[in-house]
Amino acid sequence: MPQEKDVTAQESAQRSGNVGAVMVVGGGVAGIQAALDMANSGFYVYLVENKPAIGGVMAQLDKTFPTNDCSMCILSPKLVECGRHLNIEILAPATVQGINGVPGHFTVKITQPARYIDLAKCIGCGVCAEKCPKKVPDEFNQGLGTRKSAYVMYPQAVPLKYAIDKASCIYFKKGGKCKACEKFCPTGAVDLEQKDQVRDLEVGAVILTPGFRTFDPSQYPTYHYAHFPNVVTSLEFERILSASGPFGGHLVRPSDHAEPKKIAWLQCVGSRDVKYHTYCSSVCCMYAIKEAVISKEHASYPLDTAIFFMDMRTFGKDFELYYNRAKDEHGVRFVRSRIHSIDPLADGDLQVRYADESGEEKIETFNLIVLSVGMEVSQASRELSSTLGVDANSHDFVATSPFAPVSASRPGIYVSGAMQGPKDIPESVMQASAAAGAVSASLGDVRWTETRLKKTPEPKAIRPEDAPRIGVFVCNCGINIGGIVNVPDLAEYVKTLPNVAYVEENLFTCSQDTQVQMTKIIEEHNLNRVVVAACTPITHESLFRETLTDAGLNKYLFEMANIRNQDSWVHMKEQDKATDKAKDLVRMAVARASLLKPLMEKPLSINQRALVIGGGIAGLNAALNLGDQGFETILLEKEPQLGGNARRVHKTIEGLDVQAYLDGLIEQVKAHNKIQVLTSALVVGFIGYKGNFTTEVLVGPGMYERKIDHGITVVATGAHEYHPKEFLYGEHERVMTQLELGDFLHREKDSAAKWDRVVMVQCVGSRNDESPNCSRLCCQGAVKYALQLKGLNPDMDVVILYRDMRTYGFLEDYYREAREKGVLFSRFEPDRLPQVNNDNGQLSVTFVDHVLGRPINMAVDAVVLSAGARAADTEELASLLKIPRNAGGFFIEAHAKLRPVDFASEGIFLCGMAHSPKLINESIAQAMAAASRAGAFLADVNQTISGITAHVEPDRCAACLVCVRTCPYGIPQISRDNVSEINEALCQGCGTCASECPAKIIQVAHFEDDQISAKIKTLY
Amino acid sequence: MRLQYPPSVRIIEVPCTGKVDIMHLLMAFEYGADGVIVMGCLEGDCHYGAGNLYAKKRGNRVKEILDKVGVGGERLAMYNLTSGMGGRFAEIIREITEKVMELGPSPIRVATGKAVRPIAEVTT
Amino acid sequence: MIKAVPKPLEEVLDLVKDFTKVLIVGCDGCVTVCEAGGSKEAKVLASALRLYFTQAGKQAQIDETSLTRQCEKEYLAQLSDKMDAYDAVVSLACGCGVQYMAEMYNNKIIYPGVDTCFLGVNEERGLYAERCQACGRCILAETGGVCPIARCSKRMLNGPCGGSDQGKCEISKDVPCGWELIYERLKTLGQLDRFEKPVDPKDWTTSRDGGPRTIVREDLRI
Repeated sequence: MPQEKDVTAQESAQRSGNVGAVMVVGGGVAGIQAALDMANSGFYVYLVENKPAIGGVMAQLDKTFPTNDCSMCILSPKLVECGRHLNIEILAPATVQGINGVPGHFTVKITQPARYIDLAKCIGCGVCAEKCPKKVPDEFNQGLGTRKSAYVMYPQAVPLKYAIDKASCIYFKKGGKCKACEKFCPTGAVDLEQKDQVRDLEVGAVILTPGFRTFDPSQYPTYHYAHFPNVVTSLEFERILSASGPFGGHLVRPSDHAEPKKIAWLQCVGSRDVKYHTYCSSVCCMYAIKEAVISKEHASYPLDTAIFFMDMRTFGKDFELYYNRAKDEHGVRFVRSRIHSIDPLADGDLQVRYADESGEEKIETFNLIVLSVGMEVSQASRELSSTLGVDANSHDFVATSPFAPVSASRPGIYVSGAMQGPKDIPESVMQASAAAGAVSASLGDVRWTETRLKKTPEPKAIRPEDAPRIGVFVCNCGINIGGIVNVPDLAEYVKTLPNVAYVEENLFTCSQDTQVQMTKIIEEHNLNRVVVAACTPITHESLFRETLTDAGLNKYLFEMANIRNQDSWVHMKEQDKATDKAKDLVRMAVARASLLKPLMEKPLSINQRALVIGGGIAGLNAALNLGDQGFETILLEKEPQLGGNARRVHKTIEGLDVQAYLDGLIEQVKAHNKIQVLTSALVVGFIGYKGNFTTEVLVGPGMYERKIDHGITVVATGAHEYHPKEFLYGEHERVMTQLELGDFLHREKDSAAKWDRVVMVQCVGSRNDESPNCSRLCCQGAVKYALQLKGLNPDMDVVILYRDMRTYGFLEDYYREAREKGVLFSRFEPDRLPQVNNDNGQLSVTFVDHVLGRPINMAVDAVVLSAGARAADTEELASLLKIPRNAGGFFIEAHAKLRPVDFASEGIFLCGMAHSPKLINESIAQAMAAASRAGAFLADVNQTISGITAHVEPDRCAACLVCVRTCPYGIPQISRDNVSEINEALCQGCGTCASECPAKIIQVAHFEDDQISAKIKTLY
Repeated sequence: MRLQYPPSVRIIEVPCTGKVDIMHLLMAFEYGADGVIVMGCLEGDCHYGAGNLYAKKRGNRVKEILDKVGVGGERLAMYNLTSGMGGRFAEIIREITEKVMELGPSPIRVATGKAVRPIAEVTT
Repeated sequence: MIKAVPKPLEEVLDLVKDFTKVLIVGCDGCVTVCEAGGSKEAKVLASALRLYFTQAGKQAQIDETSLTRQCEKEYLAQLSDKMDAYDAVVSLACGCGVQYMAEMYNNKIIYPGVDTCFLGVNEERGLYAERCQACGRCILAETGGVCPIARCSKRMLNGPCGGSDQGKCEISKDVPCGWELIYERLKTLGQLDRFEKPVDPKDWTTSRDGGPRTIVREDLRI
């Protein structure tokens, strides 16, 4: 395949000494996201993974919270994209051995252990695994099933190539015996002589995404995890639930494969425990709820599920709603108690004893117990940190500063995902994009210097009057197809089909030499359509399309007949019928191919300017990153001053000075030669589509109007603190919100130091009927201010009245510190809210203590209301930009899990509190992520529009609005000519409009009605 | 997973069940399909938003038509699956094949005397 | 626009079951917009009829087409060379289109394929509501832009009647009282004084009591 590099960009690279390649270490979801973002922004990426395939833990999960999406379904498109990307080189398995050099130009030494399979020859047919006599526990299924020594980690693995596990392989253990795999491999891909390889790779930056390891619960002697088969970890339970897992998705317990009637989850196993890890693992509460809900869905009988927990930490976006639904709709039981030990009963059942909140001793029996194990840093990851010379924090995670959340201590090395701290998938994805953004900002001058470009010949013109001349290539796939389907018979049959000009049989149609051969045949036989009868378009369509392009044929003139995955593989015992079916499938493919049309992928013009709406911490960081990437950026702030909410925060919980940071940030933004700041600026108009937006703004006290053309939009409109209506707020000056307390402590430290007692009330304006979600910030806020107050006056009584302390991740350390320093924590139920009383100016608080069960009244100097976060008023902006908001007024991202900073409308991105409440470090990371995604879009100036889009035949359009109303993306519009108009740059090609149109005047290119009808008609 | 299922099904690929046209469902029966299966993403999980919900409405209408014209609405089946549910897919093909065998050839095929081999059609 | 719904399939089957050559004609006008009789519906009906005839063991020819508007001679004339090939035609146009086609093709059996319902609006996709009864003399200027003829169940000119309850009509809790709507609108407009004077009896000569109506616009005719 011809490849060339951008010469002018290369010259500039030589000047700066920077290298336009990046290494991503760790191929889980964070690494995949970082690799894709980097490669799409113009960098060559080495994706280093220590297992034989990428995918990480996400590939092992059954469903993901809070949307209950099938984990593999949403991950696998990303896996495939990585696998196919011209500028991502997956090195798996491989490990990092050492690093030299400076930021911008490192040399990284990696070792690639022998896989004993030649990647170029392996076709993923699985014969080696089938013939391999050695069974070993399957780590992908957490040891609940077995695999062979020759194996592929999971069916959707990328690369979909087998590997031989040397540790268990008979050949290696028994000194040269066996070799079954080598004997049977149809392509000669097995190479038992293969040696480990060492490579030195030149890169400009390194992004660490090695992820986490689950805590090993056999360390808890009283849980007997190692001895009781029905005590499983949460990750094992994911495999039990998974349709591709060891039990085929049938909910059974390991000991006897019986369906459990009662399942318990024990939270905080390995987390929040001074003996193991003191931090909170952040994700276990949500995954336990998810597993309980999904279990109930799996069971066709009444299943009892109980979650034993200390604090329910459902602090993420819409997580509280998920928790409430689990409780109220699904009937999951939540028991606030930490279980000390598990006792065995006869026939595999398990007994737990616990004290409930009132202190009453209880005994319950369960059929299965799931240990919600936390996240920890693996030994390999610890070694990686030390190899690369980056500092770790006290928990062995890579240390970062809140103001530079993805920068490791060594410049030029970045970290994201669970290696930076325990976190869920969307936050890992955000950080991955943020790290990509940080790299783009520092290596902007060497974009496109190491990347490969595909050079394609001018396509042949196909005239409508040209009769179809179809070439059909029938693949034997070794014996995968040929062993079942009678391929010679099939090939003879295909010759009789209309429009078929050439038929050929191949041992492997996908092999490199067949591609070269195919190009020649297309020319020699003047073919204008190609059909390949082989494996599956999922993995191979793009390869054959490339071959067509190389031969000068439009790539849409290709059709695949799936005679392996949909035929020979699934009808092994009915060979004649499989051959008949193959004939049908090829005939259908030929019929459709005859009607295929060449489609042009029009270039998308992209205005290189960025617009950021909102000048708080998120907007400032997004603008700064985009400016540093080299894009002209306009930052709009509706207030006269920049800074947003952060103007009212003085210190982070870590003790860092927010105002000093903010002043520095604003100065940098204002002084940036690529950034223009417009304050007192109001968006009043917005039109256009990705790459080509025009925003109308009224600016300044004079309200002069400005029109800004731009290619991308970042929405960073923030949120604000709730103004309480309750607890005498506004009626007594010492009833204040958290932000007001912060201001007070900043201004009048000395008078605060004289207070004897302060009570803080949590969840004010959160987790209630009016605002059901958790505001995420307030628990850490309370702990932060409590510690500050204790710092001013250690004798001060500080009482925090809470519902669940949600100090997730490393924040747990501060919660523990507060308890150690004597801050009192007392829990209340929402139906027994504390009362704030004003007795002639003397404040007092009455609350029911959850241990004593008695009302307590105490006089206080101040009451601090931990008021939640509320979305900014963005109703008008949302309607102008046509972007969706949830019930709370926060914007809705394109996908809660994997597209946390994108809007479904392309070219518009989201960050900061406009997305959901979050801490400063999280806002900064999300802002960098949004800037990274936006920058990647702007940088990719050679984008084209997919040819598969809907087209309206305007003459008979009744302008009935059906397409306008049914399109899930809101793309069709009625034009000035009173007919439907579908912008092909925005159309996603789903075809819903075409099928709904009552006038039948919409066609989706490549899936036109007659192209589908042709298949149906020829089948019968 | 290579789970075995009866060779009675031919799959026609569409970008989304949102593209499964009511015309094409009826056409399959006109041309002699004994059964048709529409397979889409799980409800709420449509890759394109809501295509599968529209497909469901269309499917229900086709079933009603089939009942009224004497072909039988039970010959059209609709399922929502994910790509990770290969086992369920094979199971569905087995179930539908059995059901269609039980129903016998479609009255259209009987009337037109087309080749006697049961073929269900799947659109995804 | 005119709102219609497809006729129940069994009714159409019953109409055409004894024919062997049937043409289905959709209309690209109002019935396309309300998704009762456009091109797609014509194809669906044709397909359904083919299935019906085939399973009944009957050789039949069922074709479909669609016209820009069946309430125009010029468009109906586009069928002239096709008509002879068919024994019967099912028109998916509103009642006007069906009749006009029947007038033009006098010796041909023309059946309706939709039930024409009313003049109304699309509140949303699949939800249509009546707004006008085409009485021939519009009094919306007097009634706050809400028509008592179309929207009061009793077509009262001086409402509401005693059956108005909490803004709903006595015939159904789902039907808003037309006069309540008029009252609210006039209140919004600050024109409640209009309730002070009774509305004179309406001139119904323009409505149906004069028999089938025609409009002669001399200004438009040569």
